[in-house]
Amino acid sequence: MREWHDVASLEKVVRDGRAIVRVGGREIGVLVDPSDGSLKALRNRCPHVGSPLCLGTLRTRESGTPGAYSLEEGKVLRCPHHGWEFDLVSGVCLDDPGMRVAVYDVKVLEGRVHVLA
Amino acid sequence: MIDCDIHHVIADQADFLSYMDTAQREWFQTRGDLGLPGYPWSHPFGFANDEGLLEPGYAPGALERISREALDAYGADIGILHANDASTVSLMASPYRAAAFARAHNDWVREQWLDGEPRLRGSILCPAQDPLAAAREIQRAAGTDDRFVEVLLCAGSERPYGEPRYLPIFEAAAECGLQVAIHTSGEGMGIAAPGGGVGPHTFYIEWHTVGSATSVMSHLVSLICNGIFERLPTLKVMLLEGGVAWLPGLLWRLDTNWRALRAEVPWLERRPSEIMRDHVRFSTQPLEHTDGHDSLLFEMLEAAGAPDILCFASDYPHWDWDDPKFVINRLPKAWRHKVMHENAAAFYGDKLGLVTA
Repeated sequence: MREWHDVASLEKVVRDGRAIVRVGGREIGVLVDPSDGSLKALRNRCPHVGSPLCLGTLRTRESGTPGAYSLEEGKVLRCPHHGWEFDLVSGVCLDDPGMRVAVYDVKVLEGRVHVLA
Repeated sequence: MIDCDIHHVIADQADFLSYMDTAQREWFQTRGDLGLPGYPWSHPFGFANDEGLLEPGYAPGALERISREALDAYGADIGILHANDASTVSLMASPYRAAAFARAHNDWVREQWLDGEPRLRGSILCPAQDPLAAAREIQRAAGTDDRFVEVLLCAGSERPYGEPRYLPIFEAAAECGLQVAIHTSGEGMGIAAPGGGVGPHTFYIEWHTVGSATSVMSHLVSLICNGIFERLPTLKVMLLEGGVAWLPGLLWRLDTNWRALRAEVPWLERRPSEIMRDHVRFSTQPLEHTDGHDSLLFEMLEAAGAPDILCFASDYPHWDWDDPKFVINRLPKAWRHKVMHENAAAFYGDKLGLVTA
């Protein structure tokens, strides 16, 4: 059963761009999406080999036709160790759809960040 | 049974040169090697399997011998003819000489080989160093005869064949309904890039172990990464004589790298190994000897997509050719019909002119 957990001050998360917090036995990363200022929360463990996924980069994923590059809609999180990219909403690894990372709802109450985990 | 790699030779240069553009004939005539680039290494006892050569005058790979030794002897339905040394035409310094050579060779193949043996099918030579001229020759030759079933490129090249400069060659092949065969040969010769990135080999044994394999690996990875199969969805490519035991490892590396590095090639929406399975086939010859580990080899090849990706090739009449009976006996029973016939029949399709029972 998931519960809301008060994990960090909004001021600190916004200042640092992210916060790595601990809820129960799990590490969770709260990240600020620079494109719209929204907060995202994912488990800080890449399902590939356990790397600290939430230290990675929020970015726009490339697509295209042979020889021509374009950008996809939306942001993905790129693992800092091996570069695998994860959808921020579903947590699915776009480079290996058999893998997925847990994603959590986030809300802000009176200057504090809460995560449903 | 379909044999995807039978080599013929230019035994009579005067006969071959009778097909040459008269204004260029003298240039070719005055060169013992017809102007083709030569190997810096020599096979210690001969590239062609001449043992059993009973009839002087019949060069290895001559029509009468092919009919008897490569087709009759094994009950082959179809044999795909590949040029021998002439496949290195695309490594000649002059693209103009190369274009004349390729044109003469294609006409010579049609009249001297395809007309003489109904079980043979031809491959089109082209001056790949000049891709627009190559495309024109492919279209011309394909228009002269339906028995040409593919374009033949040698694996020695200036750059890997996925490079966009080569696109007109693949587009012309696809437009003409032809597949493309890339056959080891010519690595480091003529205007080709040095093979392997470490400088020229010392011995033929080195080239035959790694030079002939790494070129094929590079073309495979280049074709996939440049999205040639996304551009030309009907195109299929046969890679010949580079071996196959390395394939699972290469695909595992490529798939792993694609997950991390796909930003470079974002037009690849599927794993490279899946693209390979849909578009690329490999000749069995030379099927690696495994010192008693055949079951391990076949298990690994299955991981790479076998048996569907393998097509039998004898490489007649070369010294390391594979006897069809030897290959059949090594293959798992469930693979035999696919590898010896079905996969090649599907690869070439109606072009083979096979009557289906």
